[in-house]
Amino acid sequence: MEVSSINVESQRDTKFALPVDSEHKATVFPLFSFAKPHMRAFHLSWVSFFACFVSTFAAPPLLPVIRDNLSLTATDIGNAGIASVSGAVFARVAMGTACDLFGPRLASACLCLLTAPAMYCFAVANSAVSFLLVRFFVGFSLATFVSTQFWMSSMFSPRVVGSANGVAAGWGNLGGGATQLIMPLVFVLIRDIGAVKFTAWRIAFFIPALFQTLSAFAVVLFGQDMPDGNFHKLEKAGEKAKDKFSKVFYHGVTNYRAWIFALTYGYCFGVELTIDNIIAEYFYDRFNLKLHSAGLIAASFGLANFFSRPGGGIFSDMMARKFGMRGRLWALWIVQTLGGVFCIILGVVSSLWASIFVMILFSIFVQAACGLTFGVVPFVSRRSLGLIFFKGSKYSKETGITLMGVMIIACTIPIMFIYFPQWGGMFCGPSSKKEATEEHYYKAEWSEEEQSQGYHLQSMNENS
Amino acid sequence: MAAPAIILATLLVACLTQACHGNVLFSSLKRTLVVTATPKAGEVLKGGEDKVTVTWSLNGTYKGQDSEYKTVKVKLCYSPISQKDRGWRKTEDELHKDKTCQFTIVSRPYSASAPKGNFTWTIEKDIPQATYFIRAYALNAKDDQVAYGQTTNTGKTTNLFTVNAVTGRHVSLDIASVCFSAFSVVSLAFFFAIEKRKAKKSSPPPPQM
Repeated sequence: MEVSSINVESQRDTKFALPVDSEHKATVFPLFSFAKPHMRAFHLSWVSFFACFVSTFAAPPLLPVIRDNLSLTATDIGNAGIASVSGAVFARVAMGTACDLFGPRLASACLCLLTAPAMYCFAVANSAVSFLLVRFFVGFSLATFVSTQFWMSSMFSPRVVGSANGVAAGWGNLGGGATQLIMPLVFVLIRDIGAVKFTAWRIAFFIPALFQTLSAFAVVLFGQDMPDGNFHKLEKAGEKAKDKFSKVFYHGVTNYRAWIFALTYGYCFGVELTIDNIIAEYFYDRFNLKLHSAGLIAASFGLANFFSRPGGGIFSDMMARKFGMRGRLWALWIVQTLGGVFCIILGVVSSLWASIFVMILFSIFVQAACGLTFGVVPFVSRRSLGLIFFKGSKYSKETGITLMGVMIIACTIPIMFIYFPQWGGMFCGPSSKKEATEEHYYKAEWSEEEQSQGYHLQSMNENS
Repeated sequence: MAAPAIILATLLVACLTQACHGNVLFSSLKRTLVVTATPKAGEVLKGGEDKVTVTWSLNGTYKGQDSEYKTVKVKLCYSPISQKDRGWRKTEDELHKDKTCQFTIVSRPYSASAPKGNFTWTIEKDIPQATYFIRAYALNAKDDQVAYGQTTNTGKTTNLFTVNAVTGRHVSLDIASVCFSAFSVVSLAFFFAIEKRKAKKSSPPPPQM
């Protein structure tokens, strides 16, 4: 008896552990479940993203030791910091394409396994240039953010995708804080076993590198691209329509809202990354603390991500229920501006406890702003969603922290210019024209020809 | 509402304790000690191996002014070249903020009857690559600096020596790095190969007559 191909397999009644919609995406988000394939995908993606953050920010807490070993100047350290977060900007664009081509599972594992060698090479670095190069290449791993969001968007329905994305991103960002705790502890342990200071930090880097490698393995071995199976299988069966990169790029790049969000996101997430890079050294030098004390304080900045970024997403959803998109925009503007205010204060206070207190407030607002940004971003475009996940970064030194606060406030102002015809903007209500509907907005991303072929249907979702 | 009150209280205490500690200024110290060390001007020493012998004594012109001195602390200090563009090694006049001399070579009690002292020190393995000079502080009973002496001039330009630090690298570490890196890349290729094989297997079989 001839069994016909894979089409039968995907149409059969597969039983999912969680309630699913017509696309088999989960409609609930039970945080502490490991149900296959949805929640498993969630846990695998946030852990591997966490590992990438741990790796990218493994150097900053150990800088007081590394700068003496490699004879780094303040300029060298600054450049390496910029390099560590700028690589990811371009890698993110490439990641979007990679996810489209071979699925989030392999794309994320690919990135993690290709940047792990850079982590292992920290042990071999012997100059400012080699230090900058390894930090640059390890920084590429931050692009796993794209595969995380892509994977969550494939696994969870629009009703809960905001929460899934927010928690996955927030808990991943935790890595930037956790590493400030982990690395000094690992370093002290290795040094106390008997290694010389300048060797101990090199050995310490193997720990996050191994963690990154193993999490990539877990993603490939235990993960699944989509609720129905893996990419290759589904693509060959013609179930997944392919889209042209150039078209996706064009629609992302010509949407002015994308540019405004690129700027404002640069001033909340970019700021978060900058602070991850400098805060341990800042406390170590300014207040003469021990390495692990500075690490502890620095860690509390990144660890606030546990609740502050998801909190931002939840707050955005709450505001949307009461005031729609305009509520989301106002909330984002207020929270990010307040983050800027606390940043200004942080640069100005000169006592240790005041600095810690202000820093914690600053971290909560800045990270919540990131969460709030992603409350709005998925609505900017459906076709070019992968491309909108973009970010910028800026680096500054001690007193520059205050200037950075001023810049945050200034660069948050463009949010006032965002306007959605169907929902309105901060100062204008929704348009009363007949064509100002959600359907029309998303349909406009596709040309007449494409609409006649039905391609736009993937953006239209009866579930939203 | 107790939280802000507690925070304010700790702030206040922190500020006060800062003020209590003696704010000794370097510019207020007299250069009464004569300090010499074995490295010649421009000499390069190896970290972890080479030795430095430091000798200190009271300058004859200041005889009798050493009644306060209880301890002599000899320190390894960064020269201006090694401080450039490195804020964590900055020279400040307020000694408790000063970061010029970060390594203590030796600390010895001082007695006016036997003011001379010397010490041979092996350069430790965690001394960074930099150019240095040596300074000795005379401390009083409260552990505040009251006088000093150094191997270089006031401008810190003469008689400096360089330490070539330990790199911290080892052949075994280098090999481990290469092995683990290769393993990562190879396993990635392996995973891609498996995926391709799985995709081929599940392709529809060619139509049969």
